[in-house]
Amino acid sequence: MNITSDHGEGLRNSLTYWQLVRIRYRRNRYGMAGTLVIVMVILVGIFAPFFSPYSEIRTDRDRQYYPPQSLHFFDEEGNFQIRPFVYGMAEDMDPDTYEFTFTPDVEQKFEIEFFVEGEKWKFLGMQFTTKLFGVDLVTGEYMYLWGTDNLGRDVFSRTLIGTRITLLMAFVVVFLAALIGVIVGVSSGYFAGTLDLITQRVVEFVVAFPDLPLYLALLALLPRRADPAIVFIMFSGILVLIRWASFSREIRGMVISIRSLDYVRSAEALGASSSRILFRHIVPNTTSQIIVWITFQLPDVILLESFLSFLGVGVQPPMVSWGRMLNQILDFQSFNAAPWMMAPVGMIVLTVMAFNAMGDAIRDAVDPYSD
Amino acid sequence: MDLIAAENVVVGFPIISGYVEAVKGVSFGVRQGETLAIVGESGSGKSVTARTLMGMLPDKAVLDPSSKVRFKDQYITSLSEEDLQKVRGNQISMIFQEPMTSLNPLFSIGSQIIEIIQTHQPLDKASAKAEALRLFEEVKIPKARARLDQYPHQLSGGQRQRVMIAMAIANKPDLLIADEPTTALDVTIQAKILLLIEELKAKYGMSVIWITHDLNVVRSISDRVCVMQQGRIVEQGDTTQIFHHPEHPYTKHLLESEPQGTPPPLKDNQPVSLSGKSVRVVFQIRHGSLFRRKSDELVAVDDVDICVRKGESVGVVGESGSGKTTLGLALIRLINSQEGEIWFGDRRIDNVERKNLRDLRTSVQVVFQDPFSSLNPRMIVRQIIAEGLVINNIGRDDNDREERVRAALLDVQMDPEVMDRFPHEFSGGQRQRIAIARAMVMQPKFVLLDEPTSALDLSIQAQIIDLLKSLRDKHGLAYLFISHDLKVIRALCHHVLVMFNGRIIESGPTVHVLENPQDSYTKDLINAALQQPYLKSDPA
Repeated sequence: MNITSDHGEGLRNSLTYWQLVRIRYRRNRYGMAGTLVIVMVILVGIFAPFFSPYSEIRTDRDRQYYPPQSLHFFDEEGNFQIRPFVYGMAEDMDPDTYEFTFTPDVEQKFEIEFFVEGEKWKFLGMQFTTKLFGVDLVTGEYMYLWGTDNLGRDVFSRTLIGTRITLLMAFVVVFLAALIGVIVGVSSGYFAGTLDLITQRVVEFVVAFPDLPLYLALLALLPRRADPAIVFIMFSGILVLIRWASFSREIRGMVISIRSLDYVRSAEALGASSSRILFRHIVPNTTSQIIVWITFQLPDVILLESFLSFLGVGVQPPMVSWGRMLNQILDFQSFNAAPWMMAPVGMIVLTVMAFNAMGDAIRDAVDPYSD
Repeated sequence: MDLIAAENVVVGFPIISGYVEAVKGVSFGVRQGETLAIVGESGSGKSVTARTLMGMLPDKAVLDPSSKVRFKDQYITSLSEEDLQKVRGNQISMIFQEPMTSLNPLFSIGSQIIEIIQTHQPLDKASAKAEALRLFEEVKIPKARARLDQYPHQLSGGQRQRVMIAMAIANKPDLLIADEPTTALDVTIQAKILLLIEELKAKYGMSVIWITHDLNVVRSISDRVCVMQQGRIVEQGDTTQIFHHPEHPYTKHLLESEPQGTPPPLKDNQPVSLSGKSVRVVFQIRHGSLFRRKSDELVAVDDVDICVRKGESVGVVGESGSGKTTLGLALIRLINSQEGEIWFGDRRIDNVERKNLRDLRTSVQVVFQDPFSSLNPRMIVRQIIAEGLVINNIGRDDNDREERVRAALLDVQMDPEVMDRFPHEFSGGQRQRIAIARAMVMQPKFVLLDEPTSALDLSIQAQIIDLLKSLRDKHGLAYLFISHDLKVIRALCHHVLVMFNGRIIESGPTVHVLENPQDSYTKDLINAALQQPYLKSDPA
């Protein structure tokens, strides 16, 4: 049903396609919630060293496998104080099972201060030492909000700092794969002919290849003792290698259908060259699909990275990512002994769900036929 | 007593900026055995009204509580969904415009019609199948037995519509609502479908509500007419009365919008603008596997001669699949022809590579049929119109180009202020004007018009045709006008070529061909498009 009339000169300003998309996107509450979460996660990733009380490699050999210290605002007698504090832990060994047990020790009261001095950290070449919050390191106070791992490293800090690597890998891999996928898909779809024939066979080969064995094989080729940064780059490269292919097929399909539309024919009739038609007419009309794809691939890569790093073949220490942290709880015993080390799982679930919410909202917003 | 009566129907839809009323208080009735036509342009609310009668409004629609639809002795508007289902398909049936989407592509047509029969009648599978066969024969589907097992995509548009009709009459409804069922069909097929429905109506004593924008259809088959405009009925009455003595200005305007007049006579000895000799376009259809590739040829354009002089308009008329669009595109070298010669003026252009024809593009332009896909949705009007100038380095600088865009918009009678807007802000007619401006800004000598008005409402069509006429006369343009609509061709073209299956079966000055058709196909076409053989006063 069409509400059109032939005197359609409105008085308001004409909205661009993207402005319309934004209006529709904002109406989706779940998507907006997801966006908020992602924005916060990204901010945490960028400023991670500021938010984390400790660095990711700092070990506390005396306090391995410590359980999380909860925040308190009320002390033993029930008095309220604005400044939160944590209790230290008292160790005990059970004489029968030889198990260590930890209980909060009310004698050790560590008050939390804000903008404290902590370890050095770098940002954009500048050095800082201020941390958002922490306890007095000098007097031997400690604050492990999410407990410690087998080497006495603060799980909370490591999770926050791990956000950086995980997100960085996700964005780098997805953008590169998108770039390659678009270039291949557009050329294949627009120029057709033999180029298309050959390219599509290559694409089919890549897509059909079993992912996991390929990853493991390629990663096995990486020298383990190499600089973790090099490992990171090569790891990302391998992930891109598999990812661009199925996307290029999607793009190719879109290009083929857009190519036969009248506005492309009109441009040809006006004498437009192939490159003009590609960049002015075809590619701009695929961008909405590209964005939707990107938003759904990001969580996919996060999950894949977690999986591979969990297996030990991905990110290497001393670099830390969410998956890498899970590598420490490979066996059930460690999980049983220190379940708080699963904290990265919570972050993964939260981020993946948030990205999916955003993806759904974007997809509905760019779809011209939805309401 | 009316069989069905709508009383003050008001329907609205919520939209981003509020609420829009599609139907603003419509009342009418249909008597037993009567055919009522509801005629209106897009946005008039006629389809929404029809759905209200069936209780089939979309979820978002809001039916005003004071609206009532009385059918026989019940109020449709107060029935529950369950009770409504007993009425739909049984006492009131509906057929739609697009038979491809109305039939489920996953199921055979036999199973779909059997489903309808068994829903409302207590028949077993075998009896239902026999009944289905009988219905197919009744709607004159050839080889009915074989068709039962076929799928919708295996039938042509006209045959699918017959299947829809068979499904609609399966339970001998009292009322048949037809929502533009022939708009998507060729005009000769349309004539047959109209005849079929008239016969069925007489046989079963049905009443029919016919929703359409085509005045020809209204004139030939309806007893009474309701004219709708923007959600209201502006006039209703007997068909002959309305056509001979329309009262409301909108009705008058609609009737006057039928293409009228004939083109002014041509000046003598005008030079040839574009011509083709023995043009042949063949498409290769490859199928089979990689190693046993078979090649079938589809001859889309078969040995066509054509000539368009300066200031002349030549029409190519034919139904879908006749090859007329392919011919047009081949002549302006947007696609390749395989044989024959094509000349632009005194320059031969069929043997030149397309990329060397850049300079041709400024003199030869095209306007396409679908105003909704011919403008890039991401570009503003100014960019769309100026694109040809930019590509061909016409105009000294941006300001000069903007002036030209401005002039082109004024030429097509649009406010130049629309330059900064996006296509989605405009209606179909306005978009077509923009497309015409895009072609005209290049100051071409020859314009290919591929069904430029087919997708537009009747009154808008009239405006566009007037516009094309004035531009032609003002700039001395040569037009090749492709259409399936003979009325438009009669009003616009000096010469006409009738195409069928890739061949020109008749050609000549328009007036001659229309008054004295030689070929039987031409006669059929003219009968279907320009005359009404099934008016009650005429013998069938």
